[in-house]
Amino acid sequence: MLDAVFFYTFALMTLTGAVLTITRKSAVHSAIWLIVSLLGVAGLYLLQQAEFLFAVQIVLYIGGIMVLFLFVIMLVNLDEAAKQRQFNNQRWIALGCAVIVGAEILYVLAKGTASLSLPAPAAAPAAGGNTEQIAVSLFRDYLLPFEAASLLLLAAIVGSVIMAKRRA
Amino acid sequence: MSLLDLVIFLPLIGFLALLLVPRGAPGMSRTAALGISLVIFLVSLGLLGPYWFAQPTGYTFSTDIPWISTPTIRYHVGLDGLSLWLILLTTLLTPICIVISWKYIQNRVKEYFAFLLLLEFGLIGVFVALDLFLFYVFWEITLVPMYFLIGIWGHDRRIYAAVKFFLYTMAGSVLMLAAMIYLYNRSGSFDFTIIQSMIQTGRLSLSWEEQILLFLAFFIAFAIKVPLFPLHTWLPDAHVEAPTAGSVMLASVMLKMGCYGLIRFCLPLFPNAARSCSGWINALAITGIIYGALVAMVQPNMKKLVAYSSVSHLGFVVLGIFSFTQQGMDGAVYQMLNHGISTGGLFIMVGYLYERRHSLEIKSFGGVATPAPNLSTVFLITTLASIGLPLLNNFIGEFLVLQGAATVNFSWTVFAAIGVILSAVYMLWMYQRVIYGRATEDLAHHMPDLSGREWAAMLPLLVLMVWMGSFSQSFLPPISAQTAKILEQSKVGVDFRVSVKNPAPVLSSAVENKETGSAAR
Amino acid sequence: MPLANFIPTADDYLRYLPEIILTVVGVVIMFLEAVGGERRKPALGWLAGAGLLAAIWGSVVALGVGGTGFQNMVIVDGFATFFRILVLVIGLLTIVSSTQYLDREKANAGEFHALLLFSIAGQCVMASANELIMVFIGLEISSIASYILAGYLRDDRRNNESALKYFLLGSFATAFLLYGVAWVYGLTGSTNLAEVRRVLMTPESAPNLVLMGTAAALMFVGFAFKVSAAPFQVWAPDVYQGAPAPVSAFMSTGPKAAAFAVFLRVFITAFGPIATRWEPFVWGSAIATMIVGNFAALTQTNIKRLLAYSSIAHAGYVLVAVTAHSEIGTAAAMFYLAAYAFMQIGAFAVVTWFSRQGEKFVNVDDLAGLGERQPMVAAMLTIFLLSLIGVPLTGGFFGKFYIFRAALDSNLVWLTVIGLLNSAVAAYYYLRLIVVMYMKEPGAATENIGPVSAGLRVAILGSALATLVLGIFPSLVLDFAGRSAALVK
Repeated sequence: MLDAVFFYTFALMTLTGAVLTITRKSAVHSAIWLIVSLLGVAGLYLLQQAEFLFAVQIVLYIGGIMVLFLFVIMLVNLDEAAKQRQFNNQRWIALGCAVIVGAEILYVLAKGTASLSLPAPAAAPAAGGNTEQIAVSLFRDYLLPFEAASLLLLAAIVGSVIMAKRRA
Repeated sequence: MSLLDLVIFLPLIGFLALLLVPRGAPGMSRTAALGISLVIFLVSLGLLGPYWFAQPTGYTFSTDIPWISTPTIRYHVGLDGLSLWLILLTTLLTPICIVISWKYIQNRVKEYFAFLLLLEFGLIGVFVALDLFLFYVFWEITLVPMYFLIGIWGHDRRIYAAVKFFLYTMAGSVLMLAAMIYLYNRSGSFDFTIIQSMIQTGRLSLSWEEQILLFLAFFIAFAIKVPLFPLHTWLPDAHVEAPTAGSVMLASVMLKMGCYGLIRFCLPLFPNAARSCSGWINALAITGIIYGALVAMVQPNMKKLVAYSSVSHLGFVVLGIFSFTQQGMDGAVYQMLNHGISTGGLFIMVGYLYERRHSLEIKSFGGVATPAPNLSTVFLITTLASIGLPLLNNFIGEFLVLQGAATVNFSWTVFAAIGVILSAVYMLWMYQRVIYGRATEDLAHHMPDLSGREWAAMLPLLVLMVWMGSFSQSFLPPISAQTAKILEQSKVGVDFRVSVKNPAPVLSSAVENKETGSAAR
Repeated sequence: MPLANFIPTADDYLRYLPEIILTVVGVVIMFLEAVGGERRKPALGWLAGAGLLAAIWGSVVALGVGGTGFQNMVIVDGFATFFRILVLVIGLLTIVSSTQYLDREKANAGEFHALLLFSIAGQCVMASANELIMVFIGLEISSIASYILAGYLRDDRRNNESALKYFLLGSFATAFLLYGVAWVYGLTGSTNLAEVRRVLMTPESAPNLVLMGTAAALMFVGFAFKVSAAPFQVWAPDVYQGAPAPVSAFMSTGPKAAAFAVFLRVFITAFGPIATRWEPFVWGSAIATMIVGNFAALTQTNIKRLLAYSSIAHAGYVLVAVTAHSEIGTAAAMFYLAAYAFMQIGAFAVVTWFSRQGEKFVNVDDLAGLGERQPMVAAMLTIFLLSLIGVPLTGGFFGKFYIFRAALDSNLVWLTVIGLLNSAVAAYYYLRLIVVMYMKEPGAATENIGPVSAGLRVAILGSALATLVLGIFPSLVLDFAGRSAALVK
């Protein structure tokens, strides 16, 4: 019972935050709502007994990345952008799409999970807890993707430098 | 490495060698091209060897070596009575084409002659390939040089004509490629001889729908090339816009690729389908004969007139093939050669006239006979040969075709014979308007008689016109031996859905034909 | 858990050797660029080339070890090696054809080469991926580097437009792919290709097939975008037209080949058991791609845009081979992508040379008279165009031939007929280029045209030679493709 209350609270936080992030005109407001949304996600992690992810979410996303975002927003002049129209005229099409997707979700919910014949959920972590599981996943099973992702980041950094650099 | 391989690859070597000639030396390119093509012709005469005294059955000079391992594609070539004369025709006409282009082609000389040799390579390959895939490769190779010959050195609307020519042929041949792949997937081989024997022995049995569709895929590709009415519309454009040598190669040899394909592949591979479609095909052939003749009659342009006359003449070839009689087939093959000689000659003559007047319109000529008597005489002989005057070559071919058609369906002969009469009308009328009458001052001034070089190009053709018209037995035996074999092969399941009203004459005529054929010899 | 469990074996590193070499060389190039100064700039191109050659050697070494490595993350088989070497060769040709271009446009060579190497490393990851996570990461490395390369000349508006479009649409498509991966994981409990296949093959554990089909469709969207297949091809013409010519050549061959490699591997290995579910939409997309590409190309006047549409059409032909989902289909796709790479890069190399500074001359009509003024280059371009048409004795012809043979073998008769008729339509717009080169009066654009630089000469001659060799002795490549087409399952 208590679980459910927490779940819906966090879920509501996540969704409200996400919606407000994209609808606020002021970039700073958007960033702050994003923090709320990320906090909700962190809460959901905690409910799944993923303490490590919870901590990482708070420290890294909210603590690190969001602060960077705010810096950038304050450094770059966004006044112009705030005056521009945020949405184009396709909202009715978007509404149609949303209704269709909603109907699909409702249909699947009505059918129940049994009809999907999903595989059994992963077993609860053995002794040592979630953190060690992540370590094993990250540094043994998925070591290569983990390392290869650094190449991805490198390419992205080089790219952003090139794009930002003034031409000689 | 047989003599045949040498004949196939010499033009390619010549092509590559010509590319190495420096650009600034057109004279050197001309001489080199002529030398190479003459050497090829002389070498190709050696192919006559086995056919000189005997009639070998099967393929001579055959080479069969693997080319590509998966799927199995082999370089399999061989010569028989069907391809022998076509190859000699090709190797003879190439030097002639080089001679007639000697002065006419003044820009990009090297490329021009190089393309002619590449064309010769493709054409010879088409006539000897026994692997379906190899055949397709050569078939498409001929397309490229001809496209450039028309497009670069042609007349005003050359680009339109070149592209139309390329696209028509391409559209037809892709379906043929699909049919070949289908056959391969069913039989496991691209080798024509293997597939043919599998079909004949029943090891590869195709359903009726398969046979019809495959037959049509091949047939349409060949019919476009022949060209059979109503797929002929590319031909007048290509002929009119091409330079003289291009027109000659196109009319004399390239159109024969289609006819050759029909005889070589369509009949032995899909005999049932071919026979059951023969009624429609002959109707189209006869329509083409009369339609081509009527359209030719009203043309104000000499080249266009000759082009439409080709549509008419080629109708005879198709009629002969799809009469499924010995005479009809012999006549069709013979007619292929005749048409190559006489229409090639006509195009050369028209080319000579063009070089003098820079016009192809009939009305800008008249009275040529006075300033240029030799030219007029040669033109007359060529014209008469094309009409089918007895003792000249076309007569024999048309006669055999008509005779063959008559044994199957007499009304075909009646209608086709109208085409013969019409051909006399339009050819002689053109001759009259161009050669007779009073020459204007201007024309007389610009109409020198034939030069030695021009004589040299026409002389071999004139000799052949007379020779083939009066001593057909020097040419027919290898052809008959082969057509008899193909008739035999295309007889599989004659009883199967053949819509000939009275099937008896078909069978008995084959026997009869052998007798008459030998009697004629 | 003992530490030894966390240390990959030496064999694992060997299996991943090409990617390691490329990454290291890329980083070294960036380092040298910073400390080297102007004098050593040309050396960077040589270094990148040497790195690619070393990576080719590395691929061969990796094949010698073979098998799966890093906990089933990568798989080194003939298929992976084929595509690794293919993208590496594409990289070599791109480098030789871009040296003069970078000079001419006064662009910085260091980052260009580094990014190119990173992009190729990403494509190598894709070629050898045995896991959806690796597919995704490889795809992203390759894409992000290509986004930057597309907009490499920052001051050029067309470059900016090209890069931005590519980036926005590309990210959107990758999201679809990732969403599909999530579905697959949710439905089967694994992201390993072989494991997904095993789950789908076992009747008792098989998930709902409608949902599985949806997952496949989501991933298809991602792949279709990367290979520019209809209806996700809209970006390609704008991007290829706007990007620097050597980059367009690279983007239309390298990332495309790698994307097809993962497309084939994912759909045939993992989704092989549900082929009946995905076959219809791949079939439809193949037809739509061929028709859209060919018919849109008919009216183009810009050569780069024309080649972009033609590249869409060629993706359609390869999709035909994917639809066949048989071993000979896979082999045909492999051969086709190799043959296509050479003719496309060759054609773009000619465009690179011809367009001159600022890419001023990129209209079809500008080529008028090239046949007379630069007969050698015109002849080479003619070879590439004939190969794109599919005329025998060129690589393009055999590519088409093998593809349609595979399609007929899988009883896709209508697909074959439509495809072949399409290739006849395609002949028209390629012929137009030849017509302009040889049959039109020489125009102003071909006057005073400079000689071809050494690098471009190597690229053009090398591509032409490869196109002809693949057309005359296709067995050289096809036999290897045929042996490696049996994907490890």
